[in-house]
Amino acid sequence: MQYPTPISQLIDSFMKLPGIGPKTAGRLAFYVLDMKEDDVLEFAKALVNAKRELTYCSVCHHITDTDPCYICQDKQRDRSIVCVVQDVKDVIAMEKMREFSGLYHVLHGAISPMDGIGPEDINVPDLLTRLQDEQIQEVIIATNPTIEGEATAMYISKLLKPTGMKVTRIAHGLPIGGDLEYADEVTLSKAIEGRREL
Amino acid sequence: MYVKNIRLKQYRNYSDIALQIENTVNVIVGENAQGKTNLMEAIHMLAFAKSHRTSKDKELIGWNHEFARIEASVEREQRHVDLEVILSAKGKKVKKNGIEQKKLSEYIGACNVVMFAPEDLNLVKGGPNMRRRFIDMEIGQISPVYLHDLSKYQRILKQRNQLLKGMFPVPSREQELTLEVIDEQYIEAAVKVIQRRYGFLQQLEGWASEIHTRITQGREQLELQYDPSANIHAEMEASALAEQLRAELERRRENEIRRGLSLAGPHRDEMKLLVNERDVQTYGSQGQQRTAALSLKMAEIELIRAYVGEYPILLLDDVLSELDQHRQSHLLDAIQGKVQTFVTTTSIESIKHETIERATVFTARQGQLEKQ
Ligand SMILES: Nc1ncnc2c1ncn2[C@@H]1O[C@H](COP(=O)(O)OP(=O)(O)OP(=O)(O)O)[C@@H](O)[C@H]1O
Ligand SMILES: [Mg+2]
Ligand SMILES: [Zn+2]
Repeated sequence: MQYPTPISQLIDSFMKLPGIGPKTAGRLAFYVLDMKEDDVLEFAKALVNAKRELTYCSVCHHITDTDPCYICQDKQRDRSIVCVVQDVKDVIAMEKMREFSGLYHVLHGAISPMDGIGPEDINVPDLLTRLQDEQIQEVIIATNPTIEGEATAMYISKLLKPTGMKVTRIAHGLPIGGDLEYADEVTLSKAIEGRREL
Repeated sequence: MYVKNIRLKQYRNYSDIALQIENTVNVIVGENAQGKTNLMEAIHMLAFAKSHRTSKDKELIGWNHEFARIEASVEREQRHVDLEVILSAKGKKVKKNGIEQKKLSEYIGACNVVMFAPEDLNLVKGGPNMRRRFIDMEIGQISPVYLHDLSKYQRILKQRNQLLKGMFPVPSREQELTLEVIDEQYIEAAVKVIQRRYGFLQQLEGWASEIHTRITQGREQLELQYDPSANIHAEMEASALAEQLRAELERRRENEIRRGLSLAGPHRDEMKLLVNERDVQTYGSQGQQRTAALSLKMAEIELIRAYVGEYPILLLDDVLSELDQHRQSHLLDAIQGKVQTFVTTTSIESIKHETIERATVFTARQGQLEKQ
């Protein structure tokens, strides 16, 4: 069956979102038709505003509506320490924790030759420039504990070694509060491998 | 351990069957193309979440059906596990005691299976990839950590090959540095795989050579050797092994970049079988190759018992009739009363052994199984 053009365009637009197939897109489109006009307008405006008003911070590459972002502008934060993460959502997760009061550097990815991503495609080069002209003394690397995240961490630490900068890697292994009894054998063996002296 | 019951739904040519299994030795008799191997394959799936004859799970789903399901309850020494494998166009799901396992490495090992089929007679005379697959699957079923390390190695290998391809003809500074980093990951993962395989072969050799000597009544001595693709000594400790491998990568660098391929590592390592100090793959007679394959399989049964504390389930698909009387009775004597075994054959008369006379017989006919 052929839909009128406005509906099929709406369906096509929904299908551009991740995880949405034709069925769900159809359901959402018909739901929109039943919404109040004001709500639809507000929804459309929110979409456009999010796109227009949000950019990436020119210093740390976190998502922001001011440049530099509120974290980079915050005078209370410790400017001697930078936490390097893969994605914007890692910053949000760290901020929720409220334990870290330094600055961030968002790479937007990890080194992965399979996906054609080299260090120059993620924000590694400008991490180096940033480290030169700020008062940064320690870099914490918090990339994901995957092969690609590890490779990225090793790459950065290799670059920073000669500068004498203090570089640390966050610990992975058993999740905090994880119960030993329920940890599977693989996690357990990795946790044992990664043990540190106390 | 033993399978107590098994249920197949839309699996290959079985639309829906439920079997109660009470005996240690079970014989499935039937003409060709009735579903004997399909049943063996289903039990293999329970253990490995993988078929022994295809890597395409789609082929396992009954024609004109959307999904296939294998369910079984397995009795182990002190406990009982319910296992379930579900296949559909969306992929594969595995459950242990009703709980879905997200990682295969957390599922495999819940039930141990040793399968012996006519193609395993090629284990000795076939290409090196068959022996690598044999080693990896067998270590995998006793060690989820190995499965994890192996799949990590394979992913690093893919990344490394892709990087090498991009480095020809003139590598950038960034690529060179990235290769240094990926090499470290590669070496660390490779060393783990090599050490584990080497250790496994040593243990397996202990049993295999004893069994082989017994079958040949002392005439033949079987040895297993790990034969690495790089010039390294697999028996050395991890840091020395890493050092050697690093030097080997160095030596091959230019060549690897030119070819866009990793040329040294576990993915190219070999396992050699020697009979009386000669490579059986090259020099062995057909009979010697068969005996060597049989010794390996029988050794595996003992090795699993040593690791897991229980005998695995043994699947003999069409293989007994391929073995002569002498080798048949060696195998059947060894498992008698200890190992739950499923035997398939087109004619039960071709196997003469008291074990078979006491077995429960099922007949397979057009996707139905009937207890005699
Ligand atoms: N996905 C499927 N759906 C339905 N039937 C299938 C499927 N895959 C295979 N079959 C059928 O299963 C039949 C029996 O296969 P199986 O390999 O179990 O035979 P067998 O009893 O072991 O025979 P043989 O003695 O020749 O080894 C084949 O004839 C094939 O047509
Ligand atoms: Mg068959
Ligand atoms: Zn910022």
